[in-house]
Amino acid sequence: MPEFRKDPIIGRWVIVATERARRPTDFIPHSVSEEKIAEPPCPFCEGREDQTPPPEIFAVRNPGTKPNTPGWRVRVVPSVSPVLKIEGKIERHGRGIYDVINGIGAHEIIVETPQHIYNMADLPEEQITDSITAYIERMTDLGRDARFKYALLFKNYGAAAGSGRVRHAHSQLIAMPVNPIRLKDELVGARQYFEYKERCIFCDIIKQEMDTGKRIIADVDGFLAFAPFASRFPFEMWVLPKKHSADFANLTKDKRADLARILKLVLTKLKRALVDPPYNIILHTAPFRIPKAGYWKSIDEDFHWHLEIMPRLTRVAGFEWGSGFYINPTPPEDAAKYLSEME
Amino acid sequence: MGELRRDSITGRWVIIEIDKVKNPSDYEAEPHVRKGGICPFCPGNEHMTPPEIFAHREGETKPNLPGWQTRVIPNKFPALRVEGDIDRVGLGMYDMMNGIGAHEVIIENPDHNRELCDLTDHEVEKVIWAYRNRSLDLKGDKRFKYILIFKNYGASAGATLEHPHSQLIALPIIPKRVGEELRWAERYYEYRGRCVFCDMIHQEIEERERIIAENKSFIAFAPFVSRFPFEFSIFPKIHGAEFSYIQKEEVVDLARILKETLLRMKLALKDTSYNFIIHTSPIDYREEADYHWHIEVMPRLGRTAGFEWGTGFYLNQTPPEIAAWALREVSL
Repeated sequence: MPEFRKDPIIGRWVIVATERARRPTDFIPHSVSEEKIAEPPCPFCEGREDQTPPPEIFAVRNPGTKPNTPGWRVRVVPSVSPVLKIEGKIERHGRGIYDVINGIGAHEIIVETPQHIYNMADLPEEQITDSITAYIERMTDLGRDARFKYALLFKNYGAAAGSGRVRHAHSQLIAMPVNPIRLKDELVGARQYFEYKERCIFCDIIKQEMDTGKRIIADVDGFLAFAPFASRFPFEMWVLPKKHSADFANLTKDKRADLARILKLVLTKLKRALVDPPYNIILHTAPFRIPKAGYWKSIDEDFHWHLEIMPRLTRVAGFEWGSGFYINPTPPEDAAKYLSEME
Repeated sequence: MGELRRDSITGRWVIIEIDKVKNPSDYEAEPHVRKGGICPFCPGNEHMTPPEIFAHREGETKPNLPGWQTRVIPNKFPALRVEGDIDRVGLGMYDMMNGIGAHEVIIENPDHNRELCDLTDHEVEKVIWAYRNRSLDLKGDKRFKYILIFKNYGASAGATLEHPHSQLIALPIIPKRVGEELRWAERYYEYRGRCVFCDMIHQEIEERERIIAENKSFIAFAPFVSRFPFEFSIFPKIHGAEFSYIQKEEVVDLARILKETLLRMKLALKDTSYNFIIHTSPIDYREEADYHWHIEVMPRLGRTAGFEWGTGFYLNQTPPEIAAWALREVSL
């Protein structure tokens, strides 16, 4: 019998098909390693620093090396084709009943390795730790810019996940003057729960997941990876700190290595279980907090940062886009079982 | 370089690229690969589908035999089951209910190779009547709250069978997007005492920049805040919250505008895959003044970056003004 499950945070209903459940082998294999993409000479490789728009914004470098030259481990550069422009003042205006803001924002690329490796799962842990440091540095810096409300950090791996032709591990960071709607839904949902229960909804979810254990994929060093109860997509997973924390940028140095470890672990499981599938990773964290009248104060207590990892295994039928209503052919309990048992 | 536009219906912000704009020829439509084989939806194969629920038939032909023009059947692989009572349960902090619902397929015409835009106006009317007929019937079922009618055309839009068809799902819940639309529309109405969609239609008619087609009862335009390139919506000009209350003359006009716009899209965008969804009010919705039913048509061009799913934050490289212009310019 299929069942409806409700996302406890944003209230979205998802159909989970429990009868004709699809196993990893039921998905038409779409391996990123087999994608036929005409790759341009890689602008992200060490020694080709002149191929990215200058100047380098940030880098984790070996001592004694200069910006825009080799010797870096992680490097942050402006996007070649930015969707938003960094210079200028935010101007809001109305056009009849419509609302418009000029396209001010930052669009940066975090190159996660000097070597030509594409999947984050294949990077050494230290390399992922350095990448996390770069994310945090950039988010903290952009957070000082009063024009921005949110910095969206995400990774598209594989053409089917929206990645461009450059097949070299990288993530993107977009700082913008508005909050993305899905994030807003989560913030509102979490706040309402907090008003009602005086507890963080994510902490409650973690507790229940630990109690039942059915959807847990990995539980290491203070971080938990699990398949959400109302997963929209097969093998969707969340990674979050077990200890309450609203803002990803507050992650201390020692915890970054722990996050890198679980990330590499779950991405490796995903790669093995589903034969190198395309995926997206999106960070959900608290917005930049610029003191403003009416802004809610409980956000440190009610929100809990997390990473959403979504393998791209099925085509999303159009009605799912348009209705916000999803049908998931793999129950998260099954997905978690496969992934947790995977070496 | 883009601008940020906010959707007046859901509050969603979208980046619209206005400098390095993509034109129709910049998009690669995924070619349709014909799979061939036996089609369960073709006349003569009626025994391959579950027994029909409804059909437009010529003369005296019998159910589940050839002679139909449109035919509605239960989905052989339904996402939901139609028998049983709704059973809601809580699992600790989680809520769930059993998967009760109806999942039907509307076979739009007997000819395997004639898509909706290739049909005559009169044949398209029959498809709309089938939608209406099934909606009215399912509305009587007290277990259901919402009726979702949609079409997936082409593999990249999620279609698994080639024979032209649409689908209907009757649900015991209200889908999230619909709920958001209703809430924002309600808020707008409380504030201004007018329907936000009526205001939008009014502004579109005044500006004319984004209109694609128009007739006596309907208007098709590319929304000011299009999430996807060449996305467009079809609205009845006269306010109405509920699709299934459509009148006879309106069915005629809707068939004409739907066929025309789909044909324009097909010609401008190399037979692109697409989806359309009918957005209507929930069953027994009381705030009829707030909401305005419409059809959303979304061509599936290019790849959708994954982050757009996870964030609800979209980037559209073809401004709706250019999309509307390109679709208007197609000579039929």
